[in-house]
Amino acid sequence: MTDMDKTNHRMLAIAKQNMVESGERDQLMQLLRTRLLECGWRDQVVMECKDVVRDVGVENITLDKLIAEVTPKARQTVPDSVKRELLQKIKNSISNQSSLSSSAPSFSSVSSVSFNHN
Amino acid sequence: MYRSSDRLVAYYHQRMSSSICQHLDSFKHKYGLNSYQIIYKQFISVTTHESRKRKARNSICFTCRLPVSRLHSCLYCVFFGCFTGHHIHEHSKTQNHNLAMDLSYGHIYCFTCEDYMHDKDFETIAKKQKHRADKVCGARCVQYYMWEPTSQELQVLKDNPQRKRISDNSHIGLRGLINLGNTCFMNCIVQALTHTPLLRDYFLADRHICQFEDDPSMCLVCEMSRLFQEVALNCLPLVFYSGKSSPHTPYKLLHLVWTHARHLAGYEQQDAHEFFIATLDVLHRHCRGTNGPTNNSPIHCNCIIDQIFTGSLQSDVVCQSCKGVSSVEDPIWDFSLDLGPSLHMRQQRATSSTQAVCDESEPKSLIDCLERFTRPEHLGSSAKIKCSSCQSYQESTKQLSLKKLPVVASFHLKRFEHSSRFHKKISSFISFPQYLDMTPFMASKIGCTGSGTGSTDGSNVNTYINGVPHNDNKYCLFAVVNHSGTIETGHYTAFIRQHRDQWFKCDDHLIMRASVQEVLDSEGYLLFYHKQILEYE
Repeated sequence: MTDMDKTNHRMLAIAKQNMVESGERDQLMQLLRTRLLECGWRDQVVMECKDVVRDVGVENITLDKLIAEVTPKARQTVPDSVKRELLQKIKNSISNQSSLSSSAPSFSSVSSVSFNHN
Repeated sequence: MYRSSDRLVAYYHQRMSSSICQHLDSFKHKYGLNSYQIIYKQFISVTTHESRKRKARNSICFTCRLPVSRLHSCLYCVFFGCFTGHHIHEHSKTQNHNLAMDLSYGHIYCFTCEDYMHDKDFETIAKKQKHRADKVCGARCVQYYMWEPTSQELQVLKDNPQRKRISDNSHIGLRGLINLGNTCFMNCIVQALTHTPLLRDYFLADRHICQFEDDPSMCLVCEMSRLFQEVALNCLPLVFYSGKSSPHTPYKLLHLVWTHARHLAGYEQQDAHEFFIATLDVLHRHCRGTNGPTNNSPIHCNCIIDQIFTGSLQSDVVCQSCKGVSSVEDPIWDFSLDLGPSLHMRQQRATSSTQAVCDESEPKSLIDCLERFTRPEHLGSSAKIKCSSCQSYQESTKQLSLKKLPVVASFHLKRFEHSSRFHKKISSFISFPQYLDMTPFMASKIGCTGSGTGSTDGSNVNTYINGVPHNDNKYCLFAVVNHSGTIETGHYTAFIRQHRDQWFKCDDHLIMRASVQEVLDSEGYLLFYHKQILEYE
């Protein structure tokens, strides 16, 4: 892992901790859940999961197998509008954090790192 | 379809009774549920600022020192490890701790079984803590929790294996009502009320808490609730005329109404509108207890009747000399609309022998009636009002407009004239629309804002849903009560709408399919409209 990667990870960690502490992360999670429900994405994914369970068999299925099968397509079918909205909100939250603390991570370098969510 | 519901019952039964993971069971026996609860409360369902801070700073994988996703906590010791990096798996192997819980949702992973395992006791804790946290964090809308049957509910399902399937063709919620002797006026109002969506939802969801502690049989709301369930849960077969589904006899309701609204007692034919108002009043009084017995103000009452039927009218009195405006807001439960020639016209006709030139014509439609209702009226030289700015009695005009729209707008066409000279019925045809927009009658459009001029700012008419402006003043017809006959002898029938576009005619115990044209062509005495924004498109 390069020094740049290490710094990025550290900044990510700080940003994430701040968001959890302020309660913003929970709010954003709730917003994301609502948007994904509204556009029908959730129902689509549920159907996908049912198909996978049917194929693999109820006795053999584990959560990890399900995640491995369904995640790629599910990630892909998230509507752009939802991604844009959430990204904008996260950017706002981080820039608010920057304006509050002096030794803040630079805004541009944080946004270039991709976020992994569960 | 019967098999799938039986399978579901069997599944829930199994989840309740048997255990799934023996490793979880032995952990439970040895260590109990406490550690799980502590970890859940500290790291998943946080409620205080301090615990949120602690969660933020400590939700880190001990190995890679980063706040990763899918963080797990060991159940045996204090160790957090990430799942994707397999750090929790390494810990499990080296320490021989075979159980960990996921810190996003509280699911328990068993490393021996290599999967997440369900356990009723742990899940009960998780559910309880989550409910607690949701309440504290004040989720803006009520959280949706999936329905899970209790053991009694499961037993009921198993004891009663017969299932009724609701399809597009089944007609649920229609039931004839026996006429107990000139009680068609009551039957029509009951049909209209049981097809008022919000009211039906309220009663079917059992939301009423009875205030009559010593004698609940006196409560009209309880009786209504039972009646709704009798009507709304009745499933009529496809063919109505076979009469297979028996009509309901509302003798209890009648008795309760007689007890609480004495002026309606007796077997004579009553006015359906009077019955409607009396019923709403009694229901409101019997509901009122739940909202604080001290609050008598009709505007501030929060009972289901007021939530649905009560709106408010703005009454503007304009002094003709200084043009000063005095506005008052009053509650309104239904709109009683005059028909026939207006008072002004009648006065003119009475005073002059020649045909007076009249600039007003008789109303021919509901819109005409509403226009007349909200027209500025000159109060006349014999009814001067004291103007506060002029400090003297001046002639003035008075205008009514709608300030707050009720969810259900009920219109009463005053067809029955009771004057000292004669009683007669105005049977002229008044057309009414299926869809009604109340915007032209709103205070924001035609009322006075205090400056003496009507407001032209229509921006507060719209509410915004997902960024799109939505006109909140549109209504949709859902019930019509008609009176046929003369003022001495007559009969009431009702048209009610089911789903979006299916109309039925209710003639006491007879229910017949009707077309929307039949409804719109009928005479119309009481018209019930529902705010359109609540319809499910």
